[in-house]
Amino acid sequence: MLQRVWALAMVTCKEGIRDRSLYGVLLFALFVLGLNVAVAGFFMRDLGKVTVDMNLAALSFAGLLLVFFIGINLMAKDIDKKTIQLVLSKPFSRGEYIFGKYFGLVLLVLSTMALLLVFSSATVAGVHSMYPAYFEGFSWSVFFWAVAFIALQLALLCAIVVFFSAITTSSFITLIFSMATYLVGVTLEEVLFYLKSQAAAGEVVASESLRSVLEVVAWLVPNFAAFDLKTEAAHGLALEPLRLLTTAGYGFSYILLLLWLATLIFRRREFN
Amino acid sequence: MCWRRVGINCLMLLVVLPLYLMLQGTSWEQRVEVRRTSPTGYTLPAAFSRVLAMGYQGLLSDYEFLRAMTFYGDRSVKQQQMSTEDWDFFAYSLDVVTDLDPYFLDPYVLGEGLLTWDTQRYEAANTLLRKGMQYRTWDWQLPYYIGFNHFYFLRDSATGSDYMMQAAEIPGSPGFLKTLAARLAYYGGKSQTGVLFLQQMLAETNSEALRQRMGKRLLALQGAVQIEDALQQYRNAEGADPQALSELARSGYLEELPQDPYGGQWVILQNGRVYSTSKFVDVKSENQVN
Repeated sequence: MLQRVWALAMVTCKEGIRDRSLYGVLLFALFVLGLNVAVAGFFMRDLGKVTVDMNLAALSFAGLLLVFFIGINLMAKDIDKKTIQLVLSKPFSRGEYIFGKYFGLVLLVLSTMALLLVFSSATVAGVHSMYPAYFEGFSWSVFFWAVAFIALQLALLCAIVVFFSAITTSSFITLIFSMATYLVGVTLEEVLFYLKSQAAAGEVVASESLRSVLEVVAWLVPNFAAFDLKTEAAHGLALEPLRLLTTAGYGFSYILLLLWLATLIFRRREFN
Repeated sequence: MCWRRVGINCLMLLVVLPLYLMLQGTSWEQRVEVRRTSPTGYTLPAAFSRVLAMGYQGLLSDYEFLRAMTFYGDRSVKQQQMSTEDWDFFAYSLDVVTDLDPYFLDPYVLGEGLLTWDTQRYEAANTLLRKGMQYRTWDWQLPYYIGFNHFYFLRDSATGSDYMMQAAEIPGSPGFLKTLAARLAYYGGKSQTGVLFLQQMLAETNSEALRQRMGKRLLALQGAVQIEDALQQYRNAEGADPQALSELARSGYLEELPQDPYGGQWVILQNGRVYSTSKFVDVKSENQVN
C-alpha cells in the first residue's frame, strides 16, 4: 500500500515541478529577497527584524501561491478533466489516491521551501554581514523553527485543498473554499481576542451571539495564527518547547482528521 | 494589410509612445504637488490592521513605520513645518506600528528623537516608551530614554533617577549608566544633560539624516553649555547676571558668543538656563511657511 501511495505522490510532485507557474512563484520570492537587501538600509536600528520579516513573508507567501495556484490544479485537474477515471481503473483504493495526492502536494511544497530556504538563509547571512551591529537579538535556530512552522501551515493548507477537491466538482470552487478557509483561519484569533478584550472592558461592539458563532467556527477551522512564529523569529525571542509540541500536534491531528474525512466522502463519490 | 500594420506601428511609435512619456513625467510632477498639499495621512487603528495583515503583522509594521518616517522626511526635506495634525498622525502611526509589533525598536527610538525635541509631547513619548518596556524587557535603552525625558524636559529628577537605575540594572547595560544618573541629577534641566544624551544617541544611530539632525542639535547645545559655564563664572565673580549675554564676551568670560546653528539669538531663561530664540528648530523654515 505504502508503495502505491509513494508512487502516486512522486507522480504528483513531478507533475507540479513541470508546471511553468512554479518558476513564476520562485522568481517572485527571489525578487522579495533582493528587495530586502535594498530596503534594509532604510531602517535605523532593527535591521535584523526587518530582514527576518521580509524573508519569512517571502517564504510563506510563495508557499501560499504554490498551494493555491499549482496545488489546486494538480488535485482538481484529475476530476475536472476526468483523467481520474484512468487513475482509479488502476489497482488503487480511493483512500490511497487521497493520501498519494496529498503527499505529492506536500512533497512539492517542501522541496520548493527547501530551495527557497537556501536563498533566504544566504540573504539573511548577507545582510547580517553588511550590518553586524544591528542583528543583536537574531537567532538562526528560532528562524529555522519559524520556517518549519510555515511549512507545517502549508501542509495543513494542502490537506484543506485535498478535502475540498474530494467534495466539490470544480477546481474553481475548491480554490474559493480553500482561500476562504485560509482567510478565516488566519484572522479568526485576532478577531476573537479583540471581541473578548472589548467584552472584558465592558464595551459592547458585537452581539454575544456573534462571538459564540465565531467560537464554534474556531473548532471547525484551524487557527493558522498559532503556527505563526514570525514575531519570535524577528526578535529572536525564546520558544517554549511545550508550545512547539502542542502546536505541531494540533496541526498534524487536524491534517489526519481532514484526510480521513476526505477519504470517507471520496469513497462514496460517483464519477460520470 | 501590410500598410495598415506599418501605419499602426508608426502611430504607436510616433504618437502614443511620446504621449505616454510626456504624460508619465507630468503625472509624477502632479503627484509631487498632490502629496505636498494633501491633508495628513490616515493610519488604520491597530485593531483593524492586525486583522487585515493576515498574519503579516511584522511586515505591515515595517511598512507603516517606513510610511511615518517618509512622511516626516518629506516635510523635513521641503522645509515645511509639521502642523499639529501632522504630529497627531505621526504619533498615532508610531502607536499603531508598536501595536502591530511591540518588540520593534525603531519606532521607540524615532518617537524619542522627534516627539520630545520637535513637538514637546513628552507624555506621548513616555507612554510609547513604557509600552516598549513591557515587551523589550532586556532593553536598557527604553527606561534610559524615559529617565532622560524626566531629567531634561520634565525636570523631575526623582522619577528620572528611578528610570535610570532600572536601566542600569538590566544585564548588558553600559557601565556608565550608574554614574550618568548621578551626573544628570547634578545638571538637571541644564543643557549639559542634553549634550550627554545626544552624544550617546548619536553613537548608536545609523540613519544619516537623523545623525545630521542630532549633530546640529548637539552643536547648538554645546554652544549653550559654553555660555552657561561662562555665565556661572560671571555670577560667581560679579554676584549678578549680566545685562546681556554679549557682555560675557566683552568682559572676557567667553572668547566670543558661539553661533546658534539654527540661526536664533541666545537668551537667559528665568531658571538660569541658556536657550535660543530658535528653540533649536530651523528658524528659516518657520518663516518660509508662515
